[in-house]
Amino acid sequence: MTIETPAVGRRTVLGAAVGAAALTSGPALAAAPPDILVGAVYPLSGNAAPIGNDARVALETAAAIINGHHDVPMLLGQGGGLPALGGAKIKLIFADSQNSPQIAQSEAERLITQDKVVAIIGSYTSATAVTISQICNRYEVPYISAENSAPSLSEQGLTWFFRPSPTDIAYQASTPSLAVEAARLRAANADVLMPSSYTNDAILLVRSMHNVGYTPKAIMAQDAGFIDPAFIAAVGPLAEGVMSRSSYASDAEKTRPAIPKVNALYKSGTKGKDLDDLSAREFTALQVLADAINRAGSTKNTALQAALKTTDIPGNQTIMPWKGIKFDATGQNILGNPVIQQYQHGAWHTIFPADVATADAIWTVGT
Amino acid sequence: MTGAAAHTIETRRRTQLLVGAGLLVGLIILPVLIPSPYWRGLMVLVLLYAGLSQGWNVLGGYCGQISLGHALYFGLGAYTSTLLFTRLGIPPTIGLFAGGALGGAAALLVGWPCFRLSGHYYAIATLVFGLIGLLLVENWDWVGAAEGITIPFRQQSWIDLQFRIAVLPFDYAMLAYAALAWLVAWLVEGSRWGFYWRAVKDDSIASRSLGVRVFPSKMAAAAISGAITGVGGALYAQYIGFIDPPSTFGLSLSVLIALPAVVGGVGTLWGPLLGAAVLIPVQQISIAKLGGAAGGVDLMIYGGLILVLALVRPQGLISLFGIRGAAGDAVVENG
Repeated sequence: MTIETPAVGRRTVLGAAVGAAALTSGPALAAAPPDILVGAVYPLSGNAAPIGNDARVALETAAAIINGHHDVPMLLGQGGGLPALGGAKIKLIFADSQNSPQIAQSEAERLITQDKVVAIIGSYTSATAVTISQICNRYEVPYISAENSAPSLSEQGLTWFFRPSPTDIAYQASTPSLAVEAARLRAANADVLMPSSYTNDAILLVRSMHNVGYTPKAIMAQDAGFIDPAFIAAVGPLAEGVMSRSSYASDAEKTRPAIPKVNALYKSGTKGKDLDDLSAREFTALQVLADAINRAGSTKNTALQAALKTTDIPGNQTIMPWKGIKFDATGQNILGNPVIQQYQHGAWHTIFPADVATADAIWTVGT
Repeated sequence: MTGAAAHTIETRRRTQLLVGAGLLVGLIILPVLIPSPYWRGLMVLVLLYAGLSQGWNVLGGYCGQISLGHALYFGLGAYTSTLLFTRLGIPPTIGLFAGGALGGAAALLVGWPCFRLSGHYYAIATLVFGLIGLLLVENWDWVGAAEGITIPFRQQSWIDLQFRIAVLPFDYAMLAYAALAWLVAWLVEGSRWGFYWRAVKDDSIASRSLGVRVFPSKMAAAAISGAITGVGGALYAQYIGFIDPPSTFGLSLSVLIALPAVVGGVGTLWGPLLGAAVLIPVQQISIAKLGGAAGGVDLMIYGGLILVLALVRPQGLISLFGIRGAAGDAVVENG
């Protein structure tokens, strides 16, 4: 099933107009460059379907910005297609993995061999990423892993695997900087709680702590339940001062000026959802791929692979709070640092690292 | 049994063998004529499920013991050959026999307490055993727990069943598997065990009074069925290159293994193959054509088709051809 972005529809009309003009003015006018087909494999049915459908909107948003004229302050945000390919448009072809490794594999194989996509983006779960990345490697087609976080994926020795997003290991690697903060706390005779739990447990934990009168100096949560809006809604002011790691910082618009426009476009596509940790990374995955195709100046697989290997995008040209995007030999982004956010005065603020921080850390919890 | 009846059965069995041989030749040529890797991949899945469902059919069809836990034997086969390969370097072509042996042994272990249960209780018990297997593997770190095991690609090799583009070689690997499963079913169908099973299925008390050893018959059917399923699991693991608990021990897989036999014709020689040849392409093509549009329309169509078939042809698709089950059994009587 192919999904046409609004911009592609416009291009078709334009193409027809060009065709009509060519009839009268002879062969002087060149035909519009062919669309660049990009496959996207996500769970679009079953338990994980809501996440897959958000991913679809995130990718369509990226394609609409690159193809259209939204004039977003980021790399390729000026729109009008890929300049190095004569304004060629990105066309996304979605496939449903049903979250099954086997279906993900056969659908990836279909996208590559039937639809002739130039690259595949995916896939939410690591199990489907394994089979898609292996098929891509065998057919020598790049696989852009948007948000699969298992470190083992980049340890498979695959030369067509590229992951702009940090892995779970990167989060662990970022803990030395956390340790500095923790050491500061320890010096101040403070105590830090570092929970990692789903929404219900997070709510229970914070409420019980309040009930027994225990107030740690800081709560450093690991994403998950603590950043769920339902958590904030349930515990209200008790959430003040809670910190969490994240890979997206919605408040970083001062240093990431593209965020407001991208978020607004995404929000209209999802009927009211803001970009989050997953959708922001999916959006960025297509931006990274489009940049590589543009620099390659062609859709030939080896040229595209070489271009991906030399990717070097500064963080402020994206919507991510990362230092930038640059791949190592395993295809892992080495500039993708996660951030730490804190819930202050009723909103999440980024407090680390300093270059994207919008607030200073507060060392109290609750009000 | 009269001499004339025995003669008719023998003639029909010979005909079936000839049809089987002819079909085998056709299927050997077919992949070469299929131009696209995607369609070749579809053939791999059809043959895999034909073999798996044929295995299920031995126990669930001929012997009438409905199992909803065959993913347990499938998963054991997949994990056994994969671990032997990734941990000890033992080629999957050897590992698949170990996987089959373990699948058969597990089916015996499940059968030992459960065959004393009758009717629906056996089906429920197999369901529970299947889920226990899933939970154990999900929490067992040494076998990769919930994360599963990735089979690294080493080199193009028939011994290791590893191929850069796997679809064409696996068309033949799965064809060999489906053909052997069919041959096993053909052999047991005409054997003493086959007659015992059908007697047990129709009326286990009456058959016992006639001297059929009911419990050993069921155990034999379970062992053969579990072994065929285990071998299929090992082949699947090598084809996909990745196994994790839900995709190899999941309940939905147990249903998918039984479905082709049920739709094609339970307790018949050709039912599982026919069922797989109809169901798998419908499933895969509906995913390809409609899956990208979201909303699960492909799943509704697939489910609707099964529902319609169950209503219109409860005897299975095979009855469209006027073919009856082996020795004049289930198909006609149940229909």
